[in-house]
Amino acid sequence: MSGKGSLFSRLMWRMSIVLAISAAGLITAAWFYARAAADEAYDRLLLGSAFQMTESLTVRDGELQFELPASAFELLGLAESDRIFYRVIAPGGKTLTGYTDLDTGADIDASRKQPRFADGSYKGEDIRTVTIARALSLPQGVGWANVIVAQTVESRRALASELTVRATVLVAVMSLLALGGAALAVRYSLAPVARLGEALSRREPQDLTPLDVSVPAELSPFVSSINHFITRLSERMQLMQRYIADSAHQIRTPLTALNAQVSLIDEDQLPPEGRRHLERVRRRAAELARFTNQLLNHAMVIHRFDSVHLTPVALNDVARKAFRAAIPITVDPDLVVSFEASEEALYVTGDELSLREAIVNIIDNALRHGASARLDVKVWRDGDFGVVEVSDDGAGIPEAEWSNVLKRFHSSQSDGAASGLGFAIAAEVAGALKGGLRFRTKSETAPFAIQIALPLSSAPIEKGDAS
Amino acid sequence: MRLSASLATLALWFTTLGPAGALEGAREIFPAPGPEAGRLVIHAATDLDAMRPLIEDFQQMAPGVTIEFVEYVTNDLFRQAQEACTGAVESGDILLSSSVDQLVRLANDGCAQPHRSTETLTVPSWANWRNEIFGFTFEPVVFVYDRRSVPPEDVPRSHEALADLLRRKPDAYRGRIGTYDIEASGVGYLLAFHDSRQAPTTYGRLIESLSRSDTVTRCCNSEVLGETAAGNVRIAYNVLGSYAYAAARANPALAIVVPQDYALVLSRGAMIPNNAPRPQIGKEFLNYLLSPRGRRVARERAFFFDEGEPLPEGVDGPESLMESGIGRPIRIGPALLAAQDAIQRSHFIADWKRLIPRR
Amino acid sequence: MRIFLAEDTHDVGEAICRRFQQAGHTVDWETDGAVAGDILSFTDYDLVILDVMLPGLDGFTLLKAIRQRGNGVPVLVLTARSEIDDRVSALDLGADDYLVKPFDFRELEARARVLMRRRAGGEATNVIVCGDVTLDMTNRSVRVGRREVQLKRREMALLEILASRPGRVFTKEELLERLFGFDEAGGPNAVELYVGRLRKKLEGASARIVTLRGIGYQLVADVG
Repeated sequence: MSGKGSLFSRLMWRMSIVLAISAAGLITAAWFYARAAADEAYDRLLLGSAFQMTESLTVRDGELQFELPASAFELLGLAESDRIFYRVIAPGGKTLTGYTDLDTGADIDASRKQPRFADGSYKGEDIRTVTIARALSLPQGVGWANVIVAQTVESRRALASELTVRATVLVAVMSLLALGGAALAVRYSLAPVARLGEALSRREPQDLTPLDVSVPAELSPFVSSINHFITRLSERMQLMQRYIADSAHQIRTPLTALNAQVSLIDEDQLPPEGRRHLERVRRRAAELARFTNQLLNHAMVIHRFDSVHLTPVALNDVARKAFRAAIPITVDPDLVVSFEASEEALYVTGDELSLREAIVNIIDNALRHGASARLDVKVWRDGDFGVVEVSDDGAGIPEAEWSNVLKRFHSSQSDGAASGLGFAIAAEVAGALKGGLRFRTKSETAPFAIQIALPLSSAPIEKGDAS
Repeated sequence: MRLSASLATLALWFTTLGPAGALEGAREIFPAPGPEAGRLVIHAATDLDAMRPLIEDFQQMAPGVTIEFVEYVTNDLFRQAQEACTGAVESGDILLSSSVDQLVRLANDGCAQPHRSTETLTVPSWANWRNEIFGFTFEPVVFVYDRRSVPPEDVPRSHEALADLLRRKPDAYRGRIGTYDIEASGVGYLLAFHDSRQAPTTYGRLIESLSRSDTVTRCCNSEVLGETAAGNVRIAYNVLGSYAYAAARANPALAIVVPQDYALVLSRGAMIPNNAPRPQIGKEFLNYLLSPRGRRVARERAFFFDEGEPLPEGVDGPESLMESGIGRPIRIGPALLAAQDAIQRSHFIADWKRLIPRR
Repeated sequence: MRIFLAEDTHDVGEAICRRFQQAGHTVDWETDGAVAGDILSFTDYDLVILDVMLPGLDGFTLLKAIRQRGNGVPVLVLTARSEIDDRVSALDLGADDYLVKPFDFRELEARARVLMRRRAGGEATNVIVCGDVTLDMTNRSVRVGRREVQLKRREMALLEILASRPGRVFTKEELLERLFGFDEAGGPNAVELYVGRLRKKLEGASARIVTLRGIGYQLVADVG
């Protein structure tokens, strides 16, 4: 499921990004909130002490009196590590006491309506200030006195960062949980896709039945498309097979008729010249017949592999059937023809008819072009391979020609006659069954041989008695 | 040009100091016992006699350090430190002052540098502000009386009792009561200020009684105790327990009373100035002061009182100062800034001086 | 012999008829499958040659009908489709043999002869062993050791005669008579020809044919 480009990793990747962005957003929000909360908490202390200080501004005997209340600083002292600055300004702007250079930078009169909070810096430290005003009745009239109280921001920062850290931990944990949950959910949601993929990959390439997998609605278009495609392919192939079969019939019937008619010609009544022509016609007709057979069989063999289930096949049986089918009753009686099955039963995974056709073609070729006095068919085991070997006492095929004879419609130079599709069929069948066609050169001890080697499989579990 | 201008300013500074006298008090050099590897300048508003055992013990540990001890009265120390803070004069490597409100003010104004070590962690929270000021002693504020001239029935065991005594026998003690001049002594002001906070009513009556008794004021503990030892003063009010105990040990006629209604407890403050030329040695000395070894030396030979220990022998007072609730530590913190407020201070001192003129 | 032919291609049917008639057989030829079915249901033949593609009723259906009636007549199926493309195998349906069109007429005649002889002869169905030569009359197969050797009918017959009594000497005349019967011609050289071929095909076997000059032949198994 994982791996680059998988749906799962894409989803997870995207979800991680979304989660990361939202986590970043949340943490930022938490930071702002924490700062605001810390400011609010400590602003109350600041404001409280400022109020206490304004309360201590009194007018006695027409004179402004001020007694700094220690409690105001005790209140501010709750922020243990913060430094405190203050300034008391009498009506008229004269600094009564405190840090005379403490200044909020803003219009001090704005604090008359309500206390004004501000951020600033003093003595190189970041501070938070509050400015409040109090109206005082003095002999010269009502005047506004101001108190500015400032506090460094260490405690606020500490509180804010503590809150932020807690929120961050919380968000991180939640994000991880969400990611984990998302991973599970995505995996669960993608399970039908995996099932579908598995069902597809489990299918034999020849299986052209519709898929029967239950999938969620989103996937059903794919499945129905695939099924539609499979159905069409299946129909096509059936059509093709029928077409070939019909073509075969259509071609073979007139060919048979031609042969039949040629066979009716009474040679005895022909002049020698005519007899020679008749013989050529006969030979050409036979060649045509053989060729047609090969052509049609080739087409059928190829199509069979698209649609036929491969099953374990008993190699001895197939080879024996091919042997019997390939050796005509009318074979030259002087030819010694033998078949030797392997001692142990060998099974290969394949299609019996195609395999038989392949062996038939090799035997046929040996019969036609190779064997002069002897042809042996032998089944034996070569390691993990089952081998059907067709050897003859003919000249064999020169090594240089080996690759060429496997090609379709290759014309053998030595012979002059087309070797046709025989080897091509055999080679394609062997290839389709994951095996191969091999040649053995003629030597002092062994005759030339062509072998079909196929990987062995286990014996079929059911039907031990058939074939 | 600039240099001469600042020198001129400095000269002006010295001349305007007026009656407070020279900025610098007694200076003593403690040469390094071993080869000199460093130098430590202590600016202290603390009696050298009290500090000597500590300095010498420290030099046992750090034999390469030559220690220069400069003694000031508290206000002078404060002014000097403020100057040093701006860089106008050279700063000490460590400041020691009983007038912790002044240290708090200095720290608040950014004139201190923080210090953290395993030793600083042992300091109780009331004696530590911002890791910049550390209280390194535990000194109850006591009454000292002269056994020779104060009959046992007259011995005041509370502030209230002292006020009563002065009312009952105004003539017997007129001119015979001694205390700080709070204008000259920072710690005197601090103690008086806290008295006024601790028990405003009692304080009012006491001040009034002191006023009527023509109380004698002196700049510092040692002088007040000196007058007492000399027999000129019978009862000394608001004396730091450590000095009182040292004096009582020297002169058996002197007796110490820890007031039973409440007793202010001062923790002498230590601070590393921001402009300290050799802050590392200053911090080492500070660590020493806060270390168990330093505390033991302080308890045995310098300041005698300790938060965790019972009162020293011969001191008239409650069994346990802190648990009984009688001990009121002066919290080293921003609340002390109130004491340092200019207008506050000037009003307070003015009120005080009006009642108790210098005599 | 009486042969029934169902073949709708006229040119082919004509040729088959002529060739078998020339060989002295009687051939009934029908082109329509349904009619052929009717005829087969009440007439006995020695051989039925069926084309698969027939109008009316196809060859496979006919074959099935014949076998369902319990008729054991040898049937040779002709098909324009090889076994590969016919869904149903002719042999599975009870055909005795089949030929894929286009075929060699000599091959057709040869196979037909085999089928008719099998019906007429009812050959022994036993196994004869001599040395490492095994003669299985049921399968009509000969093994030399593990090798199955393809023998011609007469070679087979010759081997059967010789192997029936190993060691016994058969005269040339005796063999000639038993091999060819009275109706077929065969010169005395024919025996030598078949013996020669058989010897070649049994090469490597532990049994060999010994020629007793002037007397005849015997099959001898090597001892040991």
